[in-house]
Amino acid sequence: MDMLISILEQGLIFAIMAMGVYITYKILDFPDLSVDGTYPLGAAVTVALISAGTNPLLAMLAAVGAGAVAGLATGLIHVKLKVRDLLSGIITMTALYSVNLHIAGRANVPIFTSTTIFNNNFANSMFSGALAPYKVLIIICIVAIASKLLLDWYLKTKSGFLLRAVGDNPVVVTSLANDKGSVKIIGLVIANALVALSGSVIAQQQRFFEIQMGTGTIVIGLASVIIGINLFRRFYRVKPTSSVIVGSILYKACVALAITYGLSATDMKLVTAVLFLVILVLGRERRARRKSIA
Amino acid sequence: MKRILTILSMVLISALIVSGCNSGSDDEYTIGLGQFGPHGSLDNCREGFLAGLAEEGIVEGENLTVDYQDANFDGGTTNLIAQSFVSKNVDLICAIATPMAQAAFNAAEGKDIPVIFTAVTDPVMAQINEGNITGTSDMLPVDAQLKLIRAIMPEATKIGILYTTSEVNSESAIAVYEELATGYGFEIVKSGISVAADIPLAIDGLLSKVDCISNLTDNTVVGSLPIILEAANAKNIPVFGSEIEQVKIGCAAAEGLEYYELGKQTGKMAARVLKGEATASEIPYEIIEESFLYVNSDVMEEIGLTLPSEMSGRAIDVA
Repeated sequence: MDMLISILEQGLIFAIMAMGVYITYKILDFPDLSVDGTYPLGAAVTVALISAGTNPLLAMLAAVGAGAVAGLATGLIHVKLKVRDLLSGIITMTALYSVNLHIAGRANVPIFTSTTIFNNNFANSMFSGALAPYKVLIIICIVAIASKLLLDWYLKTKSGFLLRAVGDNPVVVTSLANDKGSVKIIGLVIANALVALSGSVIAQQQRFFEIQMGTGTIVIGLASVIIGINLFRRFYRVKPTSSVIVGSILYKACVALAITYGLSATDMKLVTAVLFLVILVLGRERRARRKSIA
Repeated sequence: MKRILTILSMVLISALIVSGCNSGSDDEYTIGLGQFGPHGSLDNCREGFLAGLAEEGIVEGENLTVDYQDANFDGGTTNLIAQSFVSKNVDLICAIATPMAQAAFNAAEGKDIPVIFTAVTDPVMAQINEGNITGTSDMLPVDAQLKLIRAIMPEATKIGILYTTSEVNSESAIAVYEELATGYGFEIVKSGISVAADIPLAIDGLLSKVDCISNLTDNTVVGSLPIILEAANAKNIPVFGSEIEQVKIGCAAAEGLEYYELGKQTGKMAARVLKGEATASEIPYEIIEESFLYVNSDVMEEIGLTLPSEMSGRAIDVA
C-alpha cells in the first residue's frame, strides 16, 4: 500500500514534467534537453524562497516563471541565433547548472522544517486522521490535474492550434501569417514552465534540493510520453495529456517494482535504457506496420 | 500495445507474489542499508557498521538480513532506495552520507522506521538532527591537519584545496579551513570544479599558486586522486590527504578519521535502537573528533619532507 501511494505520488509529479516534454518532443518535434536544467531550477527557486519564508504557493509560481524564462532562453537561442535545436537545449542546460547553484546558494538545501504546500496549517487540518496518509497524494493530484486541464484548454485556443500545427506542418502556420519561430518559442516557454513546476513540487515532497537532481530527467519524461502515447494509440477519445499521465505512472511503477524486488540500484540506469529501447522499438514496429497497410 | 501490457502485467504479478513472502519474527531483524556511492571511506563505514552490530550480537546471515543498495552518487536513486526500504517495512534504515540520509529521513517519516546515518558532515545544516533519526558525524579534523602541515612545512604560506561545487560537505569543510588557516599563518587558495573531467586543468592552475595541496573528503576529487598526485609529484608539491585510504595511494600524510571505527560506533547505536533500549529520537547524534596521523614514508622521502620527532610517536606508517 505504501508502495502504491509512493508510485502514484512520484508518477503524478513526474507527469507534470512529462506533459512539458510532450509539448516539445511530440508536438514541436524539438529534442529539448534544457529539461535537465529547468527541473532542478524549479526546485532551486522553490527551496530558496521557502527557506526565506515565502508562501509556498508564491514560491511555486516563481518557479513556473523561472522555468518559462529558461524556455524562452532556449527558444531565443534556437530561433534568433539559429543554433540547432539539440544544441540550444544543451547550452541552456549547461548554463542552468551554475544558475541553480547560485539561486539555491549551496549544493544541498534541506527544507525539512519549513512550510510547504504539503506541510501547512490548512493542509494538516484538512487531512487529519484516516486521510493523513493520503495528504501528499491528494495535493499532488490537484496540482497535476490542474496543470493537465490548463494545458488541454490551451491546446484548444488559437495559439494552441498553431502550436500543434508547427510540428506537423509549418507551412500552415506561415500561410496563416504567423511566424513559426515565435510559435516554437511559446511552446518551449510553456513546456519548461511545466517542467519547473514539477521540480518545485518534488522539492517540496522530498523536502530538499540537490544540485544533481536533474540528471536524467529528460529520459524519464521521454519514456513516460512514449509509453503513454503508444499505449493509447488506438483510443482516439483519450487526450494525449491523460495518456502522458498514465505513461508516467506506469514508468514509475516499473522502476519501483524492479528496485524493490531484487534489482540492485546500480543497474537502474541500464534497466531504464533497456525499457526505453523496448518501448521505442515496439512503438516503431506499429507505425511501420500501419504505413505498409496504407 | 498488447505486448507492453503483457510485460507490465507480468512484472506486477511477479511483484505481488514476492511481496507475499515477506515475514519476520521478533528476534530477527531486517535492515535497509543505503550508501550514496562506492567510495573507500564509505565502504569502510559500511563494514564498520556491520561489525558494530555483530559485536552487539546482531550478525548478518544469522539473525540479521541486510538489504544493501548503492545509489552511485545519484540523487534520484537515493529516493528510490529509501522508498523501497519503507515499502518493505524494514526494522531500521542505515544511511551512509548526507543525500542518502536526507532521502531516508523523508521517506521514513511518520512510518515508524528509525533512520541511523553515518558519514554526514553537518547534520544540523542537513536538517536531520531532530526526529526519528540519529547517527554519527564525520567532521574533518581541520585544526589537527593545519597543525600537521605547519609542522612538516614551516615555510609554507599557501594551501591549495580542490573541491566540487556540488558537494555540500566540501563547502562547509572549506569554511572551517578558511576560519582556522590564519591562526597557523596559512592562506587558503580554493579551486572549484563541477565534474571530474575539470580536474586536470584545475589542478595545473592550482599547483602554480600554492606550496602544498590539502584534500577534503570530496567524493569527486578523491575519486580522481591519482591524476592530482601525478601532477603534484611532477612539480614536487606535497599533497596531504584527509583519511587513510588517500595516504595509502600516495598522499604524503593526513590527520584523518578512522571510518571503520565511525561505522562501528554507528552500528552500536543501531543495535540499541533495534533491541528497543532507546529510540532514535532519544539518542543525540555523535561526532567523532579523535583523529589519527597517517604517514606514507616512501612519499615523504621522495619529496624530501621529514616528520618532526614530536609527531612521529603517534604516526602510523602506511607505506
